[in-house]
Amino acid sequence: MLRALLYLRFMSGKNWLTVRWQRLRQPKYLAGAIVGGAYFYFFFIRSFQGVATPPPLLEAVHSSLPLDVVPMIAAIGSLALLAIVALLWLVPTEPATLGFTEAEIAFLFPAPISRRALIHFRLLSAQLRSLLGAGIMMLFSQRWTFIGGNALTHTIGWWFIFSALNLHFSGAAFTLSRCAALGLGLWRRRLGILITVGTCLGLTCAHLPATEAATALAPANTWPTIIQNALILTETAPLRWLLWPVQRLMGPFFAENAPSFFASLPAALALLTLHYLWVVNSAVAFADTAIEQAQKQGTRHAAWRAGAPLLSDPTRAARPDPFTLAGSGRPEFAFLWKNLLSTWRYFTPRVFGASAALILAGCLWLSRADGAPEQLSVIGVGALIFAGYTLIIGPQFARQDIRQDFAHADILKTYPLSGWQIILGELLTPIILLTSLVWLALLTAACSLPNTAHPQLEISLSLRITGIIAIGLITPALVALQLLVPNAAALVFPSWFHTSRTRGGGPEVIGQRLIFFFAQLLTMTCALLPPLGGGALLIFIWQGLLGLTAAVAIASVFVLAILIGEVAGGIWLLGAQFERVDLSLEIRT
Amino acid sequence: MIEVNALSKHYGTFTAVRTLSFQVGPGEVLGLVGPNGAGKTTTLRCLAGIIPPSSGTLRIAGYDLATEAIAAKRTLAFFPDEPRLFDYLTVRQHLSFVARVYGVRHHEAIAQPLLEEFEIATHADRLPGELSRGMKQKLAIACGLLHGPRVLFFDEPLTGLDPLGIRRMKKSIISRAQAGASIVLSSHLLHLLEEVCTHVLILKRGEKIADGTLAAVAARFSHGERHVNLEEIFLRATEETPQ
Ligand SMILES: Nc1ncnc2c1ncn2[C@@H]1O[C@H](COP(=O)(O)OP(=O)(O)O)[C@@H](O)[C@H]1O
Ligand SMILES: [Mg+2]
Repeated sequence: MLRALLYLRFMSGKNWLTVRWQRLRQPKYLAGAIVGGAYFYFFFIRSFQGVATPPPLLEAVHSSLPLDVVPMIAAIGSLALLAIVALLWLVPTEPATLGFTEAEIAFLFPAPISRRALIHFRLLSAQLRSLLGAGIMMLFSQRWTFIGGNALTHTIGWWFIFSALNLHFSGAAFTLSRCAALGLGLWRRRLGILITVGTCLGLTCAHLPATEAATALAPANTWPTIIQNALILTETAPLRWLLWPVQRLMGPFFAENAPSFFASLPAALALLTLHYLWVVNSAVAFADTAIEQAQKQGTRHAAWRAGAPLLSDPTRAARPDPFTLAGSGRPEFAFLWKNLLSTWRYFTPRVFGASAALILAGCLWLSRADGAPEQLSVIGVGALIFAGYTLIIGPQFARQDIRQDFAHADILKTYPLSGWQIILGELLTPIILLTSLVWLALLTAACSLPNTAHPQLEISLSLRITGIIAIGLITPALVALQLLVPNAAALVFPSWFHTSRTRGGGPEVIGQRLIFFFAQLLTMTCALLPPLGGGALLIFIWQGLLGLTAAVAIASVFVLAILIGEVAGGIWLLGAQFERVDLSLEIRT
Repeated sequence: MIEVNALSKHYGTFTAVRTLSFQVGPGEVLGLVGPNGAGKTTTLRCLAGIIPPSSGTLRIAGYDLATEAIAAKRTLAFFPDEPRLFDYLTVRQHLSFVARVYGVRHHEAIAQPLLEEFEIATHADRLPGELSRGMKQKLAIACGLLHGPRVLFFDEPLTGLDPLGIRRMKKSIISRAQAGASIVLSSHLLHLLEEVCTHVLILKRGEKIADGTLAAVAARFSHGERHVNLEEIFLRATEETPQ
């Protein structure tokens, strides 16, 4: 039996590779693979071999770091991991599944294989995937030379972290399913977890003054001291106890050299084994019902015919229309309407308005408190950084466009619409989502930054308002430009990017995100340079004649016009690509 | 209404459809039959503008699918063998979406009778995940009929429906043909095709073996017998000739 399962795993892996290999016969995929490979080589592999020196910026950061930075990073990392674990217990609303594919359910469940063997099969496969993810993360962490260790210890270190998180995710889900079966409601459970975590934090804070570490506490009014104090908190019981296993798990990753690596292994291994046993046991209890159900219904097909949702089907709830959609009008809005229904249900104008009001009120309230300028400026800068990240990383997460719909491309192709209309319609939802986020961040920045302007750099109110309006208007165009990048990739290389539509993702997705991050930065730079250059020139020319405010207004109109032109061109090109793509070469439905 | 001229489709070096030509006039129902892998789905997907043909010209309602694709697509509807639905839209929302895409004014007045005709009106606010396969198929068909297409392509429309559903489907196809629509459907259920189709086209390994009215094709393969049914014709037409 074990042999059959191994055979299945092995042949699946082999065919997975074969399909990818054969795809390279298409010239565009070959070219894409060469570019991607070169990218990875130059950015990651080469730095291994000591050919490239670390970039000067990174070097400078390293040398300016305090000596005890590694414990600090470890502490922050453990806190982050703890937060993730807490979320694993807070968030799940759906019953746990074993994550079997439909084919595995159809073939393996009715087969004479024990449940335990099936669960082992499933879990071990998942750990294999973690290894791939760990390899990719290693490429990154390899450059953080100050941590110590080498490629192998980093890979294994990441694998421990990923595997444990993966197992914890399943374990939590199963345990929660069982609790739910015993009658524990969703909100009661969440309240219970929050109270537990809150009590733990409260006890720690209460306990802190009695410890000797308390002498190291500094008044928390600047960010470094706030972080410093938070770190002291992590070393205080009972929070320290909670963090203990997490830190053991990260031990192999943070090991400086071989002896400390081997010394950290037993504890990490023990933790992983415990997790594994926990998941197997909780899954067995659960699988009893799940598998019996599947068996009772015979094959998957019978279950499907009977209208029973499949095990892997997340149960969604129907949602009210986002807005009334008349039968006539521009068809692009139909896609906006449809895709809004696939987003998070809280993305509504009302929530947006409430957030804006909250931000305004919060900034107003903060500006009256003492020590306001500094805190406000930190918030303002933070908001600007958030806006920048949203522009660059947001397109990877807001996927309610052609990427999500590529599985339905055959249906879209029968619609009486031009390619550009479909692309434009599909892009509207992520444009609106990301623009709203950036606007909220800009609002935060606008409310908190002015107070810190240097007196000699006095900016007039009219100029400030013009600037804010200009940036606000340019935002959607920028967002659209950024979204064109992953959508172009999805249309030119559907077979590569279509897979990442499914949840879970895996190593392929991490690799893709890496490439996209830089592709997106590059597009932004290339697309922005001409209009910004022209805009600066316009400001220079007009400011003497009309004053700065008017010059900025003129320049913004110019920048906006060019950006809109670029976006329109991009959408038109993508539309042509959509009309051209031969689905029979890409996906088989 | 449907004119296919020398259609070929290659997948790499494999030829799925080879120089296929046929025509379907208004009010005609053409049954596309052939063994698995004969190229029925490929032909229908080319006709619906989903995949580009490798060569040949396709005209739908007088519009060339290569140059006037949008005008052609406005008149046609394609029903794939697996219903393809958006899993976050309810039944009603599917209809609203499709209505806007095709610019159907007052679509509620058309949608409601369709929902009732296919008996999914009581499930109007459900998501596809909560529908049985047959209901999903009915929803896909209701969506396709919403804009009153004059050219309809069905890929295996009867599989997955219950007996009552099959009867309704047949009636629906016949009534639309009587109203002047041109219809092509592929099916394995030959005895059912017999009741619906005016013409048949037998495909084998991408090539046309026979086409014409039912009677004409029957005459060709009957070897003088009377009352030869489509199944028998099919088996004779597609049987491997000993080399
Ligand atoms: N996307 C594809 N890529 C390669 N070959 C395909 C693809 N789609 C179908 N084929 C092949 O083309 C032939 C015809 O398929 P299809 O039109 O689906 O047949 P039918 O619908 O008549 O059963 C089959 O041999 C099938 O394997
Ligand atoms: Mg078929």
